[in-house]
Amino acid sequence: MSRSTRGLLFAVVGAASAGLLSLAAPLSGLAADAQKIPEGATIGPDVEAVEISLAYRPDPDPKRAGYYGFGEPATDEMIAGWDIDVRPDGKGLPPGSGSVEDGEVIYEEKCAACHGVFGEGEGRWPKLAGGFGTLTEDRPEKTVGSYWPYVSTLWDYVHRAMPFYEPQSLSNDEVYAIVAYVLFLNDIVEDDFVASRESLAAIEMPNKDGFFVDPRPDVKNAACMEGCKDPSDIRITWDSTELGVTPVEHFKAEEQAEVAVDPNLGLNIYQQACATCHKGGLAGAPIVGDTGQWGARVAQGFDVLVEHAVNGYQGSAGYMPPKGGQIQLSDDEVAAAVRYMVDNSTD
Amino acid sequence: MSKPRPDRAAEVLGKVAEAAGKVPLQDRRDFLMRGLALAGTAVAGPALAAADEESFLPPNVPPWTRSLGRGVVTVPYGMPSGFEENVIRRTVPWLTASNISSISFTPLPELKGIITPNGLVFERYHAGVPDIDPGKHRLMIHGMVKRPLVLTMEDLMRFPSVSVIRFIECPANGGMEWRGAQMEALQFTHGMLSCCEWTGVPLSVLLEEVGLQKGAAWVLAEGADGAAMTRSIPLEKALDDTLVVYAQNGEALRPEQGYPVRLLNPGWEGNTSVKWLRRLEVGDEAWYQREETSKYTDLMPDGRARKFTFVQETNSVITFPCPEKPLAAKGRYEIEGLAWSGRGRIRRVDVSLDGGVNWQPARLKGLVLPKALTRFSFMWDWDGSPALLQSRAMDETGYVQPNLTQLRAVRGVESIYHKNAIHTWRLAESGEVTNVQID
Repeated sequence: MSRSTRGLLFAVVGAASAGLLSLAAPLSGLAADAQKIPEGATIGPDVEAVEISLAYRPDPDPKRAGYYGFGEPATDEMIAGWDIDVRPDGKGLPPGSGSVEDGEVIYEEKCAACHGVFGEGEGRWPKLAGGFGTLTEDRPEKTVGSYWPYVSTLWDYVHRAMPFYEPQSLSNDEVYAIVAYVLFLNDIVEDDFVASRESLAAIEMPNKDGFFVDPRPDVKNAACMEGCKDPSDIRITWDSTELGVTPVEHFKAEEQAEVAVDPNLGLNIYQQACATCHKGGLAGAPIVGDTGQWGARVAQGFDVLVEHAVNGYQGSAGYMPPKGGQIQLSDDEVAAAVRYMVDNSTD
Repeated sequence: MSKPRPDRAAEVLGKVAEAAGKVPLQDRRDFLMRGLALAGTAVAGPALAAADEESFLPPNVPPWTRSLGRGVVTVPYGMPSGFEENVIRRTVPWLTASNISSISFTPLPELKGIITPNGLVFERYHAGVPDIDPGKHRLMIHGMVKRPLVLTMEDLMRFPSVSVIRFIECPANGGMEWRGAQMEALQFTHGMLSCCEWTGVPLSVLLEEVGLQKGAAWVLAEGADGAAMTRSIPLEKALDDTLVVYAQNGEALRPEQGYPVRLLNPGWEGNTSVKWLRRLEVGDEAWYQREETSKYTDLMPDGRARKFTFVQETNSVITFPCPEKPLAAKGRYEIEGLAWSGRGRIRRVDVSLDGGVNWQPARLKGLVLPKALTRFSFMWDWDGSPALLQSRAMDETGYVQPNLTQLRAVRGVESIYHKNAIHTWRLAESGEVTNVQID
């Protein structure tokens, strides 16, 4: 940092401190001018600093790789392994293909537990299908079919981030098949559709023209200071305490007891921590509601099940991670979720 | 040279150790626990607790003054006092399907100044926090560049660095309140917000290092987490003030904030500041990834949606009083709050005590930096009558923070993101503060 910049920074801090000190002045009738930003404080040190760093740059040397020459060249092979993005023009789509028929099998195994058999979405997991014509309605349903502008996004996202519990595990053919099936669930293709680089190029999504570039600032408020509205017009339209849907026990002690006896605790914890696997049977998890799968387990005794759920368990069918991987849960919360699952899986 | 006598030294050290064993903090905690257990159960309880409490107060001398404390490196990485255990991030479980892809909120009511401590910066993950070994992490820069590069963290840190104080805000901050007030705490109404000093390399330096090809217009940033989160950034921004940062408030990024390296797009929606950054690809078009189509687009009442809604517009909120920090009794108070703008510096903040009928200017405290949290203050003699408290910020472009009615008139109630409306706290005669919305 140059000497002159150092001086500038000092001046900024000095001005800010002066502003603070003046707070100790008599408090009544704070004059408008006393509220102004101190003159020097509007100069941030950061923009200067960016320029200083650029000033260090040596002259370009055509014989070197870049100005600094740090790092290694990224080879075509390295890039090929990491460059997974796909654009609306199809750039990035690899060879391969998958049919609606194949997609249905894979979808039901790997996707339906969260997204629903028909793409309707389980719990708060994303709904994938339907919702056409709802974008102007009171509760719009933004699905792949009703909202997404490009099919490339579907291929890209399924490939990079799905399934949720095992991202980047699908082959290209499997991704094509799932894409085909999700398009089918949205009535965008027929049941004999086979997705490939070529066939996807012809897909036009229903909402492709539904987006426009941000026009903000879009509202203009005035900095009115006095008599800005008629006091008698003011009505309280919403009071957050009437809903009672947010945690408040950390500052409203008297409501703690209410939370402690929450009758839905087991259900809530189940949905938060267990349903990912136990709803659809992922990783060998016994499916809630399947009395056959739960019978032998329940026979071991409730405490054993809770012990397994809390501390983790390697069974013959699969692995139960401690607390379903959600170690922030208390043992009591896990027990409540186990109770919920057992109650809903026994005759 | 004869051997020194060890017994005297050992004796003194023994006394020191013994004294240090009487940890004052523990005394205090034991006392608190006793006090809590007794309160309301036995008639003698409160009286006993009061007597106990007095033994700490003048003219008495509390035990921590008459004993030794902990030695150095008892806690090699310092932690807050145990009495601050209430100052933590919190979540609202029903907001998301799983805490692996979820949000937690910064405890704004408890914070001072403009810097958010690293352990309290709100969290937002799409596939949980990865544990990345920095020695095995690489940042690849490729696409429409002349010299595609792979950088180790060591390579990256050799570039001259800059440090800037900037806010990061999730564009969904306050998004639960478009239809009405439903969050009962400041932590949940505005807590997807933070401000840190970030250290790293300007992206412009890295892009000049690899050399841009003609026609380059966008940069795709991609994370190394299980979501491999991606966003398309216009080259204009990338060459302006975007940074590739590896440090936060003087230390390495926290894992929750993208360790070992993340992007920082100052003033823009937090989602664009891609964490666990592994790849930057230069191209001539946007990629229309999931996070810029399905999500982070703003649905308007006509059924069409705004895309690339990057900027976090001018916003502000009163942080004291608030639901978590009510007023105890009438008297003199310093009303405080935070203001911020993604377009630059805060120029001024006004405060209303009557629901927006009349406004008075607040004082800006400390540093007023572009695209950073700015703290404001307003001295008030509260006479104990009910009030509707509001703050209204203006930035250096002249933009004035709007009210909710104005926003709803243009955007309806389904756009989720970018709600920067003037916020209302109802102060009751009891001093209690409630999140409300008014006409």
